[in-house]
Amino acid sequence: MRLFLAAAFALATTPVLAQAPVTTGEVISAAIEDFIRPGFHELATSAASMKDGIAALCATPSEEHLSVGRDGFKAVVLAYSGVEFVHVGPLGSNNRIERMLFWPDRKGIALKQVQQALAAEDASATNPKDLAGKSVAMQGLGALEYLLFGTGAEELAGPDGAYRCSFAASIAALIGEVTAEMDAEWSDPQGISAALENPRPDANDYRTQTEVLEKLAASLVHGTEAIRDQRVLPILGTSAGQPKPKSALFWRSGMTVPALAANFSGLSDFFAKARFPEVMGADNAWIANGAEFEFANAKRALAVITSPMDEAVADPKQFKALEYLVIVTKSLDTLVGEDLSAALGLSVGFSALDGD
Amino acid sequence: MWQRRAFLKAAGAGFAASLLPRRAAALDRAELVFASAIQRRQGGFAAALVTERGDLVSSVDLPDRGHDITYSPVTGKAVVFARQPGTFAVVFDARGGDLPVTLTSVPGRHFFGHGVFSPDGRLLYATENDFENARGVVGIFDATDGYRRIGEFDTYGTGPHEIILMPDNRTFAIANGGIETHPDYGRSELNIDTMDPSLAFVDSSDGRLIGQMRLSADLHQVSIRHMVVDYANRVWFGCQFRGPAEERPQLVGYATLDGEIRLIELSHDHLTSLDNYVGAIEVSADRAMIAVSSSTGNTILAIDADTTRPLGSTTMRSGSGLARDSKGFVATSGWGEMMGVAGSTAPHHQFDFNFDAHLRRVG
Repeated sequence: MRLFLAAAFALATTPVLAQAPVTTGEVISAAIEDFIRPGFHELATSAASMKDGIAALCATPSEEHLSVGRDGFKAVVLAYSGVEFVHVGPLGSNNRIERMLFWPDRKGIALKQVQQALAAEDASATNPKDLAGKSVAMQGLGALEYLLFGTGAEELAGPDGAYRCSFAASIAALIGEVTAEMDAEWSDPQGISAALENPRPDANDYRTQTEVLEKLAASLVHGTEAIRDQRVLPILGTSAGQPKPKSALFWRSGMTVPALAANFSGLSDFFAKARFPEVMGADNAWIANGAEFEFANAKRALAVITSPMDEAVADPKQFKALEYLVIVTKSLDTLVGEDLSAALGLSVGFSALDGD
Repeated sequence: MWQRRAFLKAAGAGFAASLLPRRAAALDRAELVFASAIQRRQGGFAAALVTERGDLVSSVDLPDRGHDITYSPVTGKAVVFARQPGTFAVVFDARGGDLPVTLTSVPGRHFFGHGVFSPDGRLLYATENDFENARGVVGIFDATDGYRRIGEFDTYGTGPHEIILMPDNRTFAIANGGIETHPDYGRSELNIDTMDPSLAFVDSSDGRLIGQMRLSADLHQVSIRHMVVDYANRVWFGCQFRGPAEERPQLVGYATLDGEIRLIELSHDHLTSLDNYVGAIEVSADRAMIAVSSSTGNTILAIDADTTRPLGSTTMRSGSGLARDSKGFVATSGWGEMMGVAGSTAPHHQFDFNFDAHLRRVG
């Protein structure tokens, strides 16, 4: 009897919370203050720490310093994966998306350019100022991963890796710069936050609160679509009927699955912290419940994929888990795309979503 | 009125008898009939025939999301193409006679969502992606032989989107959007920094390139996607901008067979309303007025083809589909609305399904 009562009580509390009135303005503020700002701040902090770690490696090459440098890279990958879907604002301007990560890179442009620079010991790649003027494919996390984990990376632990290390340090410095800029822009009370929180009919960028809410809601569905189209489908290699483990992002560092997990948890956190479940109201609780269910499914599927990518695709169980992520992301597209839009009366309608 | 009579005559007793009484009654009235790819609210995709008064005439289920529909008034056949990177197209009889036929793209190719019939309705042309080579092709299908694919020719660009036949019944205008995609990357755009859109005129008899036009190099991220032809044989096109969101380049222009290409000057306000995205374009019955829609900007804008000046704009939530009627345009939306704009007196109607990007008049 006591158990039954406890369960009934637990059930009864949820709708009460869900009925708390939340305005569009509060959703916008919550999205910025409780998710976007802390997320970009963490990204900048981890990037600064990575920069220091790689600088220390270059100054005193050793196995230990190499391992610190690599860990720094992994922390930045996780932080970035958690916020990379927030194209609204700083990340979406000044080619920062491409400068942070040149991806998808079907033709392996980043690899070719990095290998060329390594072979020629191109001095300009070791100076962040010069590097900023070169191809974006050489400036981001993809290029840095190859330097830290790709063929020949072990030489970073000794004096032979001097050139490679200074190239890596140069990329780390640029990533540090870009992420610090984004952190500062999001923190500036007069900047992007003001434009989003106080839209004006005569503004160039955001004219109404509804428009801002639409852009924030669209980030969710663009995030789930990017996971599927840019991260999972390339590994499955469906067109040729042959998995392509080397088309996985971050396979060299073993960060493919952790990055995917951070992608999903970033979306899930954003959804909750921006108070989307509340603003949709109790009548639409099924949408939030459905999204939570699918986020949990994604987490479970990712937990199954434990081997390095080349082995994971050869194991039917792990390969199936990857395939399942395609289904999960499609279901999330509907829930956080069309269903959420319908519940909020947004214009991110069917034909507006990823039209042609 | 003549369109209506032609439709009734060809529809035949068999088709009318199979319709629900209310729908049969709809066909008895003098109404225009339109076709569009749709999404059902309970899930699933279809192509639907609707009248301008808001009656659903019939629908054909689709395995996945469709995009545009092309129609042959000679044979009464309509084809709905899968949205890219889809691999199916479904041919259905807009007059209700024959059963639908599904065709699939050949290995190494997928459809881009658009196509056109030859004037006699015997050949069907579809824009396709030769995705391993990032090359646009036009697949040629024989409508008299089970839609067998009998050949292809080049679109002279990457990521072709719409293909239309010029009034000479011989020359194709093809919008090469310039964007590289590969089915292993879903709908991801793989070459935004190097995209090279163009408008190509191609001879339908042999696939020969007659002329190809590009906007200036600084506009290489302005993807040319949809087209209509005005009374003066000018090809009006609507574009989508893939560059930085804070920029607002011009999005509507025209090209001629003489090799002229230009973007018209829309005000910053109009461009802001279009949100860097023109989803569909249509020409009026007298071919002197152009309408463009932006589903993301919730705007439909009518333009005078002579003066190139805007005639007026309408707000429509997720509005995209556009088809001419005798006075203006009928517009449809991603929220299932249909209404007359720019002079049309078609009544507002709310359907219980969602319209996709394009609306085509089929009768």
